Amino acid sequence: MKKLADLVIKLGNVDRRWIFIIIAIVVMYPLFKPLGLPIRPTESSQEVYAAIEALPEGSKVLLSCEYGPSTKPEIHPMAVGVLRHLFENGHQVYVTCLWPDGQFMAREALEQVAENEYNRTYGEDYVLLGFRPGNEAVIKGIVSDIRKMYTIDSRGIPIDDIPMMNGVKNILDLDFIFSASAGYPGTVEWVQLAADPTGIPMSTGVTSIQVNEVMPYVDAGQIKGILAGMPGAAEYEALLGKTGIATSGMDAQSIAHIVIVLFIIFGNIAFYLERQRSKKTF
Amino acid sequence: MFWKRQIPIAIVALIGTITLFGWFTDQPTIKSFVDDDATQWYDILASFAIFLGALNLLKLQMQKIIKQKSGWQYSIFAILGFLIAFTAGFLMRGAYTVDIKSAGETPQAVAQVLADETGKTVQESEIILGLIEAENSPMSLEKVHWRGKSVNDVANKLANSGAEVEIKPEDWGAHLTKKDSFFNWMFFKIFTPLSATMFALLAFLVASAAYRAFRIRNFEATLLLVSGIIIMLGRVPIGSKISSWFVLYILVLLVTIMVNTWKNSRILTFGTLGIGLLLVTIAGVSMGWPIDKPGFAYLPTLQDWIYLVPNIAGARAIMIGIGLGVFATSIRYIFGIERSYIGE
Repeated sequence: MKKLADLVIKLGNVDRRWIFIIIAIVVMYPLFKPLGLPIRPTESSQEVYAAIEALPEGSKVLLSCEYGPSTKPEIHPMAVGVLRHLFENGHQVYVTCLWPDGQFMAREALEQVAENEYNRTYGEDYVLLGFRPGNEAVIKGIVSDIRKMYTIDSRGIPIDDIPMMNGVKNILDLDFIFSASAGYPGTVEWVQLAADPTGIPMSTGVTSIQVNEVMPYVDAGQIKGILAGMPGAAEYEALLGKTGIATSGMDAQSIAHIVIVLFIIFGNIAFYLERQRSKKTF
Repeated sequence: MFWKRQIPIAIVALIGTITLFGWFTDQPTIKSFVDDDATQWYDILASFAIFLGALNLLKLQMQKIIKQKSGWQYSIFAILGFLIAFTAGFLMRGAYTVDIKSAGETPQAVAQVLADETGKTVQESEIILGLIEAENSPMSLEKVHWRGKSVNDVANKLANSGAEVEIKPEDWGAHLTKKDSFFNWMFFKIFTPLSATMFALLAFLVASAAYRAFRIRNFEATLLLVSGIIIMLGRVPIGSKISSWFVLYILVLLVTIMVNTWKNSRILTFGTLGIGLLLVTIAGVSMGWPIDKPGFAYLPTLQDWIYLVPNIAGARAIMIGIGLGVFATSIRYIFGIERSYIGE
C-alpha cells in the first residue's frame, strides 16, 4: 500500500512535459479517427436556429465578424453555418467587422459559402463592408447612418454603386443581426448599442469563455439564443444537417475534457496522500 | 495653465454632458451631434490612435534594442515584422491581374499562351477566348501576381501572341484582402498559423495547471472544482453518454468520504455507503435505468442549470457593479473631479 501511495505521490509531481505529450496524443487521435459521438442541440442553439428560420424570405441580415485566427476554430464554423442557413433561406447578407482580422475571416467564410457552395452574386446577395476602426462608434454609426461610416466596401466599390445597398440607410432597414464574436468589441456592444435601442432581433455565437458574460442578455430575451463555443457550432451544424469542422472537433474536445478531469482527480488523490503523510510527519 | 488645464476640463465636461443627455432628448441638433458627429470624431481619432500606437510600439522596441534590455533579440523580430507588414500594406500593392480584352487576329496563339499560364487545356482556352469575343467583355486571369515585373511578363507574352491585354492593379485598400495578394498571403500563411499556435498552447497549459493547481483545499475550491468538472463534461458530447446513475453512485461515494472524515466511525461510514448504494439501485431498477433521469444527476442538465442559474446571477451582479462604476467615473469626468487625462 505504501509503495502504491509513493507511486501516486511521485506521479502527482510528474514533469509537465509528460502531461503535454498525453494531451497532444488524446487530442490528435480523434482528429485522425473520429469517434462519431452524438451531438445534442441545446435549447439556446435551437433558439438561434429558430430565430433565423422565422425570418421571411429575402430578409436583410447583418453578420458581424469579431474574431481572428486564434479563435477561428470556435467561431468560424458558426459564421459558416449561419451563412449557409441565410443563403439557404434566400436572405441578403451584409457583413461588417469590428476587428481588423475579422475581415479576412469573413472573406474566407463568404468565399466558401456564398461563392463556392451557393453561387451567390456579390453586391446583390451579399456584401462585405469590411473593417472600420472605432469599436462602439462603428456600431453607433451603423445605427445612425451607414453611409457616414462606410463610403466604400472592402473591395473599394462605392456604397451607392452596390445594388443591395439601395434603400439601406441604417440598421432600422435591416431585419436581423448576428454577431460572431470572440471578445471586445463584440456581442455585448451590439446588443447595448444596436439591437436593444432599435428593437432589431439579434443572435450571437461566442467563444466558450464569453458565454458567462453574454448569458444574462440571452436570459433576458435581448439576444435570441446563443451558440456557445465549439459545442454550439457543432450543434448548429447538427441542426442544419451539414456536419463540418466543429462536429469533428467535438470528439477531440470530448476526449481532452475527460483526460483533464482524470488529471484533476488523480492530482487531488496525490495531493490528499501527500497532505496525510506530512501530517503524520509532524 | 489656462489652456492646459481649464480648457481641456471644460471641453470634457461639456462633451460628456451632451453625450450623456443625448440619450434622453429628441432635440435634433443634440441627437445628430451624439449619433453622427461625435461618432465620426471618435472614428477619426481612433484611426490616428492606430498610427500613434504603431509609433509607440516602434519606439519601445527600438529603446529595448539600443539599451540591450533582457530579451532585446525578440524586439528585432517585432520591428522586422512591423516593417514587412507596413511595406506590404502601404507601399507594396502585391496584387496585379491581367485582363484579356480581345484575342485579336491569332486566337490559336493566344490560346496556347493562355493554356500555359492557367494550366487549362488549349481547347478550354479557345472556348474562353471565344466567349470574350462573343460577349465583348474582358476576362481577368485568376492568377494574382505580387510584383509588377511578373505581371508584365505575362501581359507581354499574351500581347506578343496577338491579344489585347490590360494590366489591372487591385485598388489600394482592397489589395489587403484580395485573394492570393501578398498581404493576404502573409495573413493566412504567417499570421494565422502563428496566432492559432499561440492559442492552441493554452490547451496544454490548462491541462498542466489543472493537474497541479486545481486542489480541494477548502469549501470554495471544492465548489469551483465540482462545477468545473460538471461544465467540462456536460458541455461535450461524451457527457451525454454518462448515465445519471453513475453520477449518483459517485455522489454516494463522496458523501461516504465526507461522513468518514467528519465522524471517523466505521459503522456510520459503511452504513451510509450501504444505504446509499441500496437506495440508488432500488430507484434505478424501479425506473428502468434511463440515462438522463433523474435530471439533477444528468451532466448536460446539470451544466445547463449551472449556466442558467448561479452563473447568470453572478454575471448580473458583476454587470450591475460595472455599470454603477462606469456611471460614477463618468460623473467624476463631467464634474472635473477625475483629471488623470491631463496628467494630474
